[in-house]
Amino acid sequence: MERIGVFICECGPNIKEALNVEEIAKYASSLAHVAFVKSHTLLCAEAGKALLKKEIIERNLSRVVIAACSPKEHESTFMKIAEEAGLNPYLVQIANIREHCAWVISDKVIATEKAKVIIRTAVSRVLLHQPIVNKEIDCTPDALVVGAGVAGIEAALVLAQKGRKVYLVEKSPNIGGRVVRYEDVFPKFECATCMLDPKLDEILHKNNIHVFTYSVVDEVLGYFGNFIIKIKKKARSVSTETCLGCGACFEACPVNVKNRYNENLNERKAIYIPFVGALPNVAVIDRKNCLHFRNKATENTEEKKCEICKANCPFGAINFDDQDEIIEIKVGSVVLATGFDSFIANKIPRSGYGKFENIYTGLEFERILSSTGPTGGEVILKNGESPKSAAIIHCVGSRSKKFHNYCSGVCCTYSLTFAHIIKKKSPNTEVFNFYSDFSLAGKGYHELYDKALEDGVNLIRTAGPDAVEVNEDAGSLVVKYKDAAGKESKLAVDMVILSTAIEPSEDATSISQLFDITLGSDGFFTEEHDKLAPVSTTTGGIFIAGCCQGPKDIQSSVAQGAAAAGKILSCLVPGEKLKLEATIAEIDEKLCSGCKICIGLCPYKAIYFDKEKKVAAINDILCKGCGICSAACPSGAVKARHFTSCEITAEIKEIMK
Amino acid sequence: MNNFEPRIVAFLCSWCSYAGADKAGSSRKTYPQNINIIRVMCSGRVDPQFVLEAFKEGADGVLILGCHPGDCHYKEGNYNILRRYHFLKKVLMELGIEEGRFKLDWVSSTEDDKFVTIVSEMVKNVKSLGPLRNEALI
Amino acid sequence: MIKPKVAFCWEASCGGCEEAVLDLNEDILKVIEAVDIVFWPIALDFKYADIENMNDNEIDVSFISGAIRLNEQEETVRLLRKKSKLIIAFGSCAHLGGIPALANFWDRESILKKVYREAPSVINPEGKEPQVKTKTASGELELPEFYDTVKALNQVIDVDYYLPGCPPSPDLIMQTITAILENNLPPKGSVIGPAKTLCENCSRKDSKPDIMTLKEIKRPHEVIIDPEKCFLAQGLICLGPATRSGCGERCIKANMPCRGCFGPTDNVIDQGSKFLSALASIVDFNDEEEIKKVVDSVADMTGTFYRFTLASSLIKRKRRLK
Repeated sequence: MERIGVFICECGPNIKEALNVEEIAKYASSLAHVAFVKSHTLLCAEAGKALLKKEIIERNLSRVVIAACSPKEHESTFMKIAEEAGLNPYLVQIANIREHCAWVISDKVIATEKAKVIIRTAVSRVLLHQPIVNKEIDCTPDALVVGAGVAGIEAALVLAQKGRKVYLVEKSPNIGGRVVRYEDVFPKFECATCMLDPKLDEILHKNNIHVFTYSVVDEVLGYFGNFIIKIKKKARSVSTETCLGCGACFEACPVNVKNRYNENLNERKAIYIPFVGALPNVAVIDRKNCLHFRNKATENTEEKKCEICKANCPFGAINFDDQDEIIEIKVGSVVLATGFDSFIANKIPRSGYGKFENIYTGLEFERILSSTGPTGGEVILKNGESPKSAAIIHCVGSRSKKFHNYCSGVCCTYSLTFAHIIKKKSPNTEVFNFYSDFSLAGKGYHELYDKALEDGVNLIRTAGPDAVEVNEDAGSLVVKYKDAAGKESKLAVDMVILSTAIEPSEDATSISQLFDITLGSDGFFTEEHDKLAPVSTTTGGIFIAGCCQGPKDIQSSVAQGAAAAGKILSCLVPGEKLKLEATIAEIDEKLCSGCKICIGLCPYKAIYFDKEKKVAAINDILCKGCGICSAACPSGAVKARHFTSCEITAEIKEIMK
Repeated sequence: MNNFEPRIVAFLCSWCSYAGADKAGSSRKTYPQNINIIRVMCSGRVDPQFVLEAFKEGADGVLILGCHPGDCHYKEGNYNILRRYHFLKKVLMELGIEEGRFKLDWVSSTEDDKFVTIVSEMVKNVKSLGPLRNEALI
Repeated sequence: MIKPKVAFCWEASCGGCEEAVLDLNEDILKVIEAVDIVFWPIALDFKYADIENMNDNEIDVSFISGAIRLNEQEETVRLLRKKSKLIIAFGSCAHLGGIPALANFWDRESILKKVYREAPSVINPEGKEPQVKTKTASGELELPEFYDTVKALNQVIDVDYYLPGCPPSPDLIMQTITAILENNLPPKGSVIGPAKTLCENCSRKDSKPDIMTLKEIKRPHEVIIDPEKCFLAQGLICLGPATRSGCGERCIKANMPCRGCFGPTDNVIDQGSKFLSALASIVDFNDEEEIKKVVDSVADMTGTFYRFTLASSLIKRKRRLK
């Protein structure tokens, strides 16, 4: 025998004055199964909550309808009270007689009638509610961070608390990402390497952070709370334990290769450390170019296998027999901080890039400015002279219908930073910034503009990102441009710097597939919600931080790294179980014929095909309870808990009565 | 006919449209009371059977409101209902139920004005269509 | 031992259900041996009066095939209801309205007009249509009244069990008769047949991709149908996912997609809209214009989705705009 209690909140004057509460209470008492009706001035206040709890217990109520404000306001408040009173919280239904009735109907009589319909609908619905118990599962609080740039490093450091293990996987031989290769970063021109060094040091020396450089994630199995991940640790051919980074090996190595870490501006050896100061300070053999391995690969037995580095290593650190290694780890969550790539400027032929000398992209110029870079930090031309003039061209690849529609957000700031540094290092160089609009939002960013003017930088406003062209004439670079007024002009310069766009990293697609997350149309990883959930994804337990989510500056990347870690810290706590969403979908395997309609519909990939039973099954951990599958299931085999077809149909019937 | 007050069942997704209707309340915007709101977690939860059930039970119109495309709380539930909506609309029209009686639209949690406009227009349209009487259902 | 008394009767039906009884082949002999057939207009010479003269509940079980579209049919089934302990709706038409219920897209007036006046093969210069009552020199003649709306059996009388199919498969018929003879019937109101939909038993089940998507909907005559592959995965409308199994997959074996004659499973009220929901959900477009193109490509959508279930669907018939 059901005993439904209907509690009507007067919400101070809000409901009381708009409706005839007494009449509504009388009406509610007349409804089938309603055992008790009570109105109160303010149910959500302490006195109201105490009353609710007391009456549920004393009146032995089996279900409760709260006629009050929107469920979005106080549903959880009242569910909690019900639980405290010993009732399953899902046996509560809210009748929204404030927002959807009292506040939107000026006629008291009509409003009263409407409230009656809303209440009787809630009563008919609550009768069908089923108690739901929140399921809990064991989980591991340990986490995987992919990418050891600023975002990944921040995430790893924040995560490494309370005995959690953090696995940090980095595809490059060194950590620090892009930022460690910059010299002076905006807005205060602090030295990026100096700023990062203590963090990198902490990463490498913290006991519970396991760093895997020169490694990639090979396989991802499982789900939020319980991922099983295979890491492929590529053969470094140099022992990380014994190598001290003394450099004896690469001084002797006979092979010269372009150094990608210096944006191919200079060369390195086949055994190398990417740049001075790279951490961990351990050499690596590039097997594709190393003679030892190249000969092996072509089976050229005539030539003796090169072992010069081995002969020169004073510590016996070289190991040609090193093999790729697969390491399996168990983690509860993942932070992807896989960074970005720079726009390839020769896609725009009029940029002159790749055709003429002394044209650099933003990243290349960062290396030129770096004391560990190809010129040791000197702003010089290919011929060794310092440039008499330099042009910095904004928006290369950004804000373009053909390439990237978006504004990369950081180029204006770094372009002005470049202008300032050039002026500082080489005061006699004339600097011209060709911009069409300035995007300088951010703390201390607009000041860079004032600084440029103080420095005597020429800021030339062009008609648009496409209005600038670089050619060569009589051995000199010539910038041809249309200014904001539409006037075409030419300017000869010695050096051109292209402020290239931030674009998704080349492995963004493969990583998104590996971790089952989505890519936006711009190619960056898609966040769960652009405003309210910017670091989570729609795949449970997978978080994103830094430029893999979209172009951003260092501070935003660090903030996202910390945010992603914070999310994980709050949901996966050592020694605690993972509480799952209660109102999820369930599949009755006695009714499911395995038609597979539902599988592709789930936005969270929570539905899978059970190959043994040949039916669809739901992973309780991933399901978020949207009910799309239930609406689509042609067998009626999927039940959306708390929003069942029976409950909704009962509402329809009651409304239409 | 002038006195005809249509009854309309409205399915509102909890995250956007229901919140938008709440906001209409908080900002004390009155709108025709012919609308009866049923809350669902996602517009993608709306099973075509619910729509038909409403018509069967005497509704003169059915309204479904979801998050704006691209803004779905569940990523793509609203695209799902968009597809179903177009299929179902064709079936309803083949069964003689006019287009104006079945509507899908998008209302965000801040669009109280849009909510009021959609509801008012729908009520006006259904009023002009007159009651949906289907004797076969009796 | 007294043999149970059994009646067979057909209403708005094509006669295929009666054929299906004969398709029991040798098994029919067992049936005839086990029961006493008291009424079977298609095969044996009994009159309505024979039934009228019986006591109430004298017949143990009446199998009624066909939908109800004439007052004569309604009277007959009401009579059988009165005289029978069990009524079994036999076949799609009695169960769900079936093919005859597609007439619910029209009404009496338009149907009679089309059939008796407008059909190209009809010569009817005086525009005569059948009348319920016609006066002639020898007296008044009466024809059964033709209804506006075709109904399933349970919309006219109380039905105890439903035997689905167009026609029901011999296996299912034998299973039902055996259950009756052994007094081993499921709860009243049950549809006799498996709980799951057709995909469960479909020989093409394993060919389904894990993620079902459609960009285009094709009709069987437009493509060369792969005899091994899931129809839906080939872009063909197959009602299998929304249709109760138990038919023996006869259409599938003949390389034709399921048309839905077994009706929905127990948790589904409206087979057509449930199939619609499933189909629409796997259409692989988010763009409204693309979606509309797919919708427009489905010929006779309602007739296809509700081929056998229009009478028993939630909306039941096309609305009469009067």
